Amino acid sequence: MPEAVAALRVRALSRHFGGVAAIDRLDLEVRAGETLGVVGPNGAGKSTFIHLISGSLAPSHGSVELFGQDVSRLPADARTRLGVGRTYQIPRPFARLSVRENLILAARHARLPAAAHGAAQVGRSVAGRCQQILERTGLADVAAAPAGSLPLLRRKRLELARALALRPRLLLLDEIGAGLIDSEIRALIALIQDLQREIESIVLIEHVLDVITACCERTAVLASGQLLTLGETRRVLADPQVAAVYLGTRDAGAGTAPASSAPRVVAGPAAPLLSVQDVVVNYGGVRALRGVSLEVAAGECVALLGANGAGKTTLARAISGAVRLAGGRIDFAGRSLGGLPPERVTARGIAHCMEGRRIFASLSVEENLLLAVAQRDRHAAAARLERVYGLFPVLRERADKPGTAMSGGQQQMLAIARALMSEPRLLILDEVSLGLAPIAVEQLYRDLARVRAGGVAMLIVEQNIHRGLQLADRAYVLAHGEVRLGGTPEQLRDSPALRALYIGEDSAGAADTGK
Amino acid sequence: MTEPPRREVLLWLVSVALLAALPYALGPYWQQLGFRALQLLTLAMAWNLLAGYCGQVSLGTGAFVGLGAYAMALCGNWLGGALLVPMLAAALVAGAFAALVSVGLFRLRGLYFTIGTLALAEALRILMVNLSVFGGASGIVLAGVAPTFYWLYWLALVVAAGTALLTRLVQGSPYALAMRAVRDDEDVARAMGVRTQRVKLATFVLAAVLMGLAGGLQALKLGAIEPYGAFGMRWTIDTVAVVIIGGLGSRWGPYLGTLVYVALGEALRNVPELHSAIAGVFLLLVIRLAPQGLWGVLRQRLARTAERSGA
Repeated sequence: MPEAVAALRVRALSRHFGGVAAIDRLDLEVRAGETLGVVGPNGAGKSTFIHLISGSLAPSHGSVELFGQDVSRLPADARTRLGVGRTYQIPRPFARLSVRENLILAARHARLPAAAHGAAQVGRSVAGRCQQILERTGLADVAAAPAGSLPLLRRKRLELARALALRPRLLLLDEIGAGLIDSEIRALIALIQDLQREIESIVLIEHVLDVITACCERTAVLASGQLLTLGETRRVLADPQVAAVYLGTRDAGAGTAPASSAPRVVAGPAAPLLSVQDVVVNYGGVRALRGVSLEVAAGECVALLGANGAGKTTLARAISGAVRLAGGRIDFAGRSLGGLPPERVTARGIAHCMEGRRIFASLSVEENLLLAVAQRDRHAAAARLERVYGLFPVLRERADKPGTAMSGGQQQMLAIARALMSEPRLLILDEVSLGLAPIAVEQLYRDLARVRAGGVAMLIVEQNIHRGLQLADRAYVLAHGEVRLGGTPEQLRDSPALRALYIGEDSAGAADTGK
Repeated sequence: MTEPPRREVLLWLVSVALLAALPYALGPYWQQLGFRALQLLTLAMAWNLLAGYCGQVSLGTGAFVGLGAYAMALCGNWLGGALLVPMLAAALVAGAFAALVSVGLFRLRGLYFTIGTLALAEALRILMVNLSVFGGASGIVLAGVAPTFYWLYWLALVVAAGTALLTRLVQGSPYALAMRAVRDDEDVARAMGVRTQRVKLATFVLAAVLMGLAGGLQALKLGAIEPYGAFGMRWTIDTVAVVIIGGLGSRWGPYLGTLVYVALGEALRNVPELHSAIAGVFLLLVIRLAPQGLWGVLRQRLARTAERSGA
């Protein structure tokens, strides 16, 4: 479409943080009517790119043109009224507004105020449209709840819903597929394909490559703030250069092959390190866990699998003392953890690496790490720092930088490293691969294999079934707050029951082919 | 919004009528107490809008009260005893000052904004002490007007009732949603198309205007003003205390807070040496035990009762 005005054109766009160029002389065009995929390793500058287009950040050099108009100097609100809608990779809902109010606010301040109608008319159409979006994005049941009370994945959903309420001409989606399981990914693809009929242009930043291949004709690869390549999606993803910086081997098996031959402590059946018995947890009026029992032996790696909402995160939080038990008991190293607050649980030797990273923004990388060392272990702090820097060398390079100034993958490494600083006997990892580039996930799991080889027992909550089973000695599958299956990876991998539970009914075909 | 507006209008009318009739039934003590309560209520409603709804935690209440008082006194003396125009001047001067300082203050966010506003009253006080045109440290005596207790009371009632109406209209308007969005996350509000600077400025100026009126009332009541009292820290502290006790960011918090705070002050009137200490402990208890304020506790109770009777 050479005659059509481009939805977005950036010229020689740069943005520096300190001395580092997050975006470096980038030239890129999003054509009217297209959905452009943007992929790249963590830290490539993808989120910065979105900030620069939406006006949240001012460029250091270069220009941004929206629909043929130079907007380099326009503030974010003016760009939104021109038709830009965006999501935040780490969700930022208006926490004390209800979910519905979040949408109404966006709808009211969006482009094209319907001046022709009376105020009541506008009010009604805004409310109606927001209701529609809520239903479409699966948030209708929590419309009246404060947005701050939503769990992470629903917050991500709200990001999308709020951006849609803006009725954008150019929609910028920043990793909205992260953390979803297969059936949810398929629903998301259908939703985006639906949106393509309504929204002129979409920029889709995504690590879930199925979404990119299903929705994007063209894909751009960013690396170190520069455009590595741009072209037809299939060709781009087949590019060996792209494989080298972004995709990695794409074979989950190859990455962890050395791990399975790594020395491992065999589970002693007599005294498990962690024993969870008949645990019941209620959230509000909802029963999140209905009598869950499982065990983790010393040095053993156990994976918790299951669909979103199955209760995996709740179980992890129950073990680390963040939520109260309504029934059952949890023993660690032979002693009950009953009712201990999180800091005391940590002192007993359980470290919890929470979903969503939770890096302290005002602290440097090293300060974030040192924070996790108990007062009585101060003398050992330097040695422990050395050890985690050995595991994650990039953290040493960034030691004095703010914790959140790093890429998503690096922040995740920091979160894990921080958990290791207390020298735990059991490490709980909740969705640690969420939002990471394939190559970073591969790296992360190599690192985790090394951590496990060091004798730390692990309980990993993972939506990526293959990664989870690769690393684990045993796995449990949760569904609706109960343990439905348990066993070794070999037993589980070929089990049609697992596929049915995990992937959902609509994939009965997949279960058949698995046999 | 949630409640039927007609019932609220009725409540407002009945309350104003009852309060207006109060001087006929009760003596000067109650009129004076009523004046103080209504003045405090006005300040609390204004500050609740600014801090509770828009998230701009200002500690500059004293600056706007003081400016209102000075404008009232100067304009009143100049016009020789008029009332309406000097009150308007009080509102105008405070509002204009807010607009002026907003240029600098809105470059600051969060805690820095708060500290910036804290400096306002102090700076103005020092300025007034050193400006002999405005009476220097000894201040200004209001010539001519010496309203009786009940006139003062009625005037305070007009100001408070007007403030109640105005803040309620704002709280029920689409504007309130933008204010609350700015409070929750200013950057995101902007990315959602909200003209955040405009929202903040409008709220800041509106709150200042209302605080200026409360200051004008103060000048009328005292008949003389001096910089230490007019720009005193007391105004800021009382206002914050009332709103926190009642419930920050809630519609009924300022009413409940004023009632409790004034009642507490009266109960402790005979032990002035303990007054501040006990009021302080009370405030701490509220913050610790009822972070949503007394209104938050009450609302929870009401919801629970409604749930029980509904089920």
